[in-house]
Amino acid sequence: MLEARNIRKTFHSEGGETPALRDVGLTVRPGEFVAIVGRSGSGKTTLLNVLSTLLAPDAGELLYHGEDVTAFSPARLNSLRRKDFSVVFQFHYLLPYLSARENVLLPYLRGLGRVTPAVRERADACLARVGLADKGNMLPGHLSGGEQQRVAIARALAKETAVLFADEPTGNLDRATGESVMELLSGLGGDGLAVVMVTHDDGFAARADRVVRMADGAVVG
Amino acid sequence: MNLLTIPLRNLRRKWLKSALLALVFGLGVTSIVALDYVSTVVGHSLEKKLTAFGANILVMPGAEKLHLGYGGFSLGEMSLGETSLPEAATEARVRSIGLSERISVVAPKLVAVAHADGAPVGLVGVRWDREKVLKGYWALNGAFPDTENGLVAGAAAAARLGLSPGSKVTLDGREAVVTGVLAPTGGDDDAVLFSGMAFCQALAGTPDRVSFVEVAALCAGCPIEEIVGQLRSALPGTEVKALQSVVKQRMLSVDFVRRLVLTVSLVILFIACCMVGVTMLSSVNERIREIGLLRSLGFSRAGIFSIFCYEALLIGLFAGVAGYGAGFLLSGRILGVLDMAKGAAITFDPAHMAMTCLLILAVSVLSAFFPAWKASAVEPSRALVSL
Repeated sequence: MLEARNIRKTFHSEGGETPALRDVGLTVRPGEFVAIVGRSGSGKTTLLNVLSTLLAPDAGELLYHGEDVTAFSPARLNSLRRKDFSVVFQFHYLLPYLSARENVLLPYLRGLGRVTPAVRERADACLARVGLADKGNMLPGHLSGGEQQRVAIARALAKETAVLFADEPTGNLDRATGESVMELLSGLGGDGLAVVMVTHDDGFAARADRVVRMADGAVVG
Repeated sequence: MNLLTIPLRNLRRKWLKSALLALVFGLGVTSIVALDYVSTVVGHSLEKKLTAFGANILVMPGAEKLHLGYGGFSLGEMSLGETSLPEAATEARVRSIGLSERISVVAPKLVAVAHADGAPVGLVGVRWDREKVLKGYWALNGAFPDTENGLVAGAAAAARLGLSPGSKVTLDGREAVVTGVLAPTGGDDDAVLFSGMAFCQALAGTPDRVSFVEVAALCAGCPIEEIVGQLRSALPGTEVKALQSVVKQRMLSVDFVRRLVLTVSLVILFIACCMVGVTMLSSVNERIREIGLLRSLGFSRAGIFSIFCYEALLIGLFAGVAGYGAGFLLSGRILGVLDMAKGAAITFDPAHMAMTCLLILAVSVLSAFFPAWKASAVEPSRALVSL
């Protein structure tokens, strides 16, 4: 479904060039839970950003259902991000002035048309799935860190995408909260949703179907 | 919930900043609206006052002039055809034109030659009530006549005939009394005697006839050519001329007020635009990660652009409506202070308000164009990947 071939990415700065990815290849199948692990600076977050189309690679191909998305127009990329890919970041990035339910509804906002009751129900179902059925009207500031991250996951789930990318989703959470978030993520594959997660925690990575190890910008195992 | 929810909630969250921005922008609109109303009233008042410095349109009989001369001797000009106008009919037609509300004064004149105690002198029959308005620059020693046989003498004519206020004079066998003598004007007025229209018409034996009609038209907001065109259509067979120098001089004074107000308004508007632009720009910088998130959720550049434009639109809407209302009320107060409220009461015009608000909305959105464009150009990778 999603295949990266010979991906290269180099960051340029005043201090010189830093190769972040060196001919990286990776395949993700529908419903698969893939964990990318490695030390800090190994290139795992850069790979996730390239896979989720948030970052364009310098070279290589990123095939989604056989089409190279690196050649997509900005409009097609937007459509891909809206319909097929969703991302959960290390930090939840909830809009502080919208309620939990409204944050989950964000991907559905288009122009001045109001969201339909069906979409609202979908958002509520996603909140219920992450255990926040009764907190839809609360502002993010009134939720705990774990609950905020759950809302972010609900927002990603609401889009009904094919692939969910998660970048250190437990990075800002305590162990117990992190465990509950991991439990949630590892149970998503049953719907055919592929999950690609970056983590530095081998314990959490062990819950994945497949673990990809990275070091110095390359896949090493 | 729709896309407007985001700018609305953001404005509400930062209510103090939003309120201050709307207040400053609204004050700008208030100043512009108040200046516009006050300048309109002051401009009209100024133009009416300028009417006292003479007419700007002449209506004359359409007589053909024939220059007579032979063998190097000039025998002067001879008028062919009608040499006078019917007074009542001419005035009625002048008042009947489409732009009749722009006609301030209609002053008919009958020019005749009379003999004052045997000495020839030009006699001009006038309607005193109109003449007083039109000849605001006259300095009179004595008073205007209040009887039919009263006369006002030009400075040179009075000196030549030895007239002073209270002098009695016989004009072609008719007794008349000089009630006032004009100070020298440097114009044609100095050499003639002025009488009431009825006295002059009786003396000349031409009842209801006048030699020409002076018209003072208010030109602010409409070109003099348009009034002249309508007069020509209403008065076929006559010659209607605009006294361009008078018109231009008068318009210059009125236009000066309007130009001054326009310049001040543009400066205020520019400052208000800068305020909106700078505030929106700082808002974009503050919300860079929010923009990155929205882009990662699949929001298009146009979608991000529209969020910031809506925000500016909401501020502009508040500033436009509140500013207009405040400006209207303020202009009433200013005119009251200037003691001009009675003469020219301002009236609330919903169409004017709608146009002003639309303009403010457009200006507000235009001010937010660069910040909105900058926001739309944010790449999610740049905003979020640095994590």
